Amino acid sequence: MQVKEVIDNPIFTEVFTTQHGAIYQSDSEGCWYIDFAGKLARFDYRCLLKLKKAINNIDIEQKLMDAQSPDMEIIFICACDDTYVLTLTQIIHFKELLQGTFVMLELNHIIYNRLYRMAC
Amino acid sequence: MKDIIRIKSLLSTEIEEVLNQQIKKEAQSASVYLAMASWCDRNGFDNSADYFFKQSEEERTHQLKFFKYVLDMGGTAISPEVTNVKIEYNSFREIFEDALDQEISVTESIKAIATRCYKEQDYVTLEFLNWFFKEQREEEYKARRALELFETIGEEGTGRWEIDRHIPKIHYGSEA
Repeated sequence: MQVKEVIDNPIFTEVFTTQHGAIYQSDSEGCWYIDFAGKLARFDYRCLLKLKKAINNIDIEQKLMDAQSPDMEIIFICACDDTYVLTLTQIIHFKELLQGTFVMLELNHIIYNRLYRMAC
Repeated sequence: MKDIIRIKSLLSTEIEEVLNQQIKKEAQSASVYLAMASWCDRNGFDNSADYFFKQSEEERTHQLKFFKYVLDMGGTAISPEVTNVKIEYNSFREIFEDALDQEISVTESIKAIATRCYKEQDYVTLEFLNWFFKEQREEEYKARRALELFETIGEEGTGRWEIDRHIPKIHYGSEA
């Protein structure tokens, strides 16, 4: 699926966007589409959580300080269709994108609770 | 926009993570008790060996309770890796000291999960934890009583044999 097709499709909602990428939610499919590093990848609930964990677990500072460490990281998530090969700068951008997304999802959860789920 | 994360799981990622840590802790406890049972059996303390075999089974039951709860709530339960289990102990008494330490550590860990649940207003998990608090009352009581036998009976002469004879009689009868 092309990026433009997703963005123009009314059933996709933009969750969070930065200069370097964007994450959209598909309510009908119950998943997210990540537009980052030149590709559009589909992530379901479990895969998105695994991706967040994988990105957060990368010790960027240690990689920057270590001269032996390659300036690249392969992010492979078990049982997910996509793999990322990212530079450290891209990892920082990806981290920012995911953090923003989860803040928005949490905010959406709070709004949902307040509007539809609480008796008072 | 639908609240997909909440639809898929009742647990927040943080609570899921601490519950998985607890699963590991319970698995570790089960293995440690098994090691204690092994030591007691090798050193002729048959009743204590049986006591620790039972304790190990109980810890395994606790582990599975946490494991199934995480799955039931839509989370990912992780089967833990258990390493660094002690094989040798310096004395019969040291085993019971370690057993009490372990139970205290489990209680404190569950208390920390409860604190987290209060913070996140996760009353469902809090209610689930209540069973464990009651269970820990019994576990700590039994471990403390066992250790007290060393004071009341004494280890001299046939003391250790007498202590081993009394271990199966430790029973927590409080219904409170």
